[in-house]
Amino acid sequence: MIDFVQNTVDGIMFGSSYALLAVGFTIIFGVMRRLNLAFGATIMLGAYVGTWLHVNYQVNVLIIALAILASTVLTGVYVERLCFRAIRRDAALASMVSSFVIWMQLEEVAIHLLPERTYPFPSLFVVDAIEVGAFLFRAEHVTMLVLAVAMVGALHLLLHRTRFGLALRAMSENPRAASYMGIDTGRVMLCSFALVSLVGGVAGYTILATDEQITPFFGLWTTFKGLIAMMLGGMGSLPGAILGGLMLGVVEAHSQWYLGNEYKDLSAYILLFAILVLRPGGLMGRRILSREELAYRRV
Amino acid sequence: MAYYLGLVQLIGIHTLLGLSAYILMLTGQLSLGQAGFFAIGAYSAGILTVIFQLPILPALFIGALIAAFFAFLVGFPALRVKGLMLVVATIAFSEFVRLFFFNLSWRVPRGDIVVGPDSTNGFREIRYFVANGWSAWEITAFVWVFVVLVMALLWWSDRSRTGSVLRAVGEDELAAQSVGVNLTAVKVAAMTAGGFIAGIGGGLYAHTATYVDHLTFTVLLATFAIAYPILGGLSSVFGTLVAVIFIQGVLVEGLRFLGDWRNIVFGLMIIAAMNLKPSGLFDAPTARILKRAIGLDERGKTGA
Repeated sequence: MIDFVQNTVDGIMFGSSYALLAVGFTIIFGVMRRLNLAFGATIMLGAYVGTWLHVNYQVNVLIIALAILASTVLTGVYVERLCFRAIRRDAALASMVSSFVIWMQLEEVAIHLLPERTYPFPSLFVVDAIEVGAFLFRAEHVTMLVLAVAMVGALHLLLHRTRFGLALRAMSENPRAASYMGIDTGRVMLCSFALVSLVGGVAGYTILATDEQITPFFGLWTTFKGLIAMMLGGMGSLPGAILGGLMLGVVEAHSQWYLGNEYKDLSAYILLFAILVLRPGGLMGRRILSREELAYRRV
Repeated sequence: MAYYLGLVQLIGIHTLLGLSAYILMLTGQLSLGQAGFFAIGAYSAGILTVIFQLPILPALFIGALIAAFFAFLVGFPALRVKGLMLVVATIAFSEFVRLFFFNLSWRVPRGDIVVGPDSTNGFREIRYFVANGWSAWEITAFVWVFVVLVMALLWWSDRSRTGSVLRAVGEDELAAQSVGVNLTAVKVAAMTAGGFIAGIGGGLYAHTATYVDHLTFTVLLATFAIAYPILGGLSSVFGTLVAVIFIQGVLVEGLRFLGDWRNIVFGLMIIAAMNLKPSGLFDAPTARILKRAIGLDERGKTGA
């Protein structure tokens, strides 16, 4: 019983960072109706810049965190300019393929920065664990959860209390109507890319501070976790992304404990497939348009 | 010379991979599961020639059938999701297959060595061609026989009722359904055919490379598979071939002199191509210009 509760709580804590990654994917999908495959690579390049500073100059943790955020935002803007702004709105596939080749490009730059296989990443705390009764929590996990809750709260305020948030929501509802209302869609797209890169930077930083190391597979890893969490919750749905992230974290924690390490990733894919078969739109997503609805729209 | 023959073989195999995604894209489905089917074909055909010691042709055929069977199974649940959801669902399938082969260990002693897939160490010693004394020329011809066969079959079906049905589903599902097209049957058939073609490609790959491991079949390969038809355009099977030659022949080989910086330039060139021609290098207008240039397009003449 204690194991079960401990695993669930651990899963929720680690899942909160998956939730942040999924939020990044889902906002871009909501605004653009396109998939940004370069999101994971964006975070990876930012993290590599931070690690590079750590390895070469031993700067303090705060500067590393700031460097990571700044470079992810810059990279995010670069991706938007090259893969999304430049390509025609109806060519969603062209954008997806372009964002994938950008992924390869960003990875190449990161590997040029730090060519070895693994590098140490500075952890946040020297304290190892917090004990509450029979349970044990890693300080990094608690920070992860706190930061994620803060980020989601801030995002909620931004989306529902500011003009930019209103514009972003209007655009994901109906891009054409939004532009008729005088919303500068290009600017909203750019700002939302900067925003999700910031969110991704925070997620990347907390994950790396927990793992205490970085490898060239980090981009691939963040992409998969974010995509799966987003799909579980439903594409384009913000609460869905958070729920999907937490669920993925919990399932991974349990399968790792009860079945072993090699089943951790497999169980995530089985979960995703099961959800897609049972509820194709994801848990909280808008239901996939049924044929009748499609026909109605056309009339 | 052997090096260039290897490149020609690789172009042939990647063309098969691209065509397997092409037939799906005709029906409007975008699948990143082709790497998974490719992997199933590669491992099955390899296991059949190495452990069961079958000749190459039945091994390839059975491997492709197994891949097609899994494509058929994936086809049904995948039908319920569409567009980008299908993309991510099929990524999950590909990764699932990759993790399966990552854990698969099936070692059989053969003479004084042990052969078969060895989980993380990969599947070595798929030496059918070497053991039977095939020359590089023969292997290349063998690969291209399959490429030409598949291309001819697809080209011909594009000019028959089959092609029209596939394209009708891709253009407008609702309209296709209202003229009596069975959507489920068409989509699952396209998925199965795609799985079969990818399975042949995978089997050929395993035998020409003699070594495969799970890292061969990542999402990178799956993206290449759909990048070929997207870059080449969907107007004809030749678009895919042109795109494979452009990417594998010109970009990957031609930019080798750039060394480590190759991927950066490679990325920029594909983005440039996508920006200039979003519907493919070999799209309908280009095809018409080419046809007119070699005097195949009769419409242009009668109009003048």
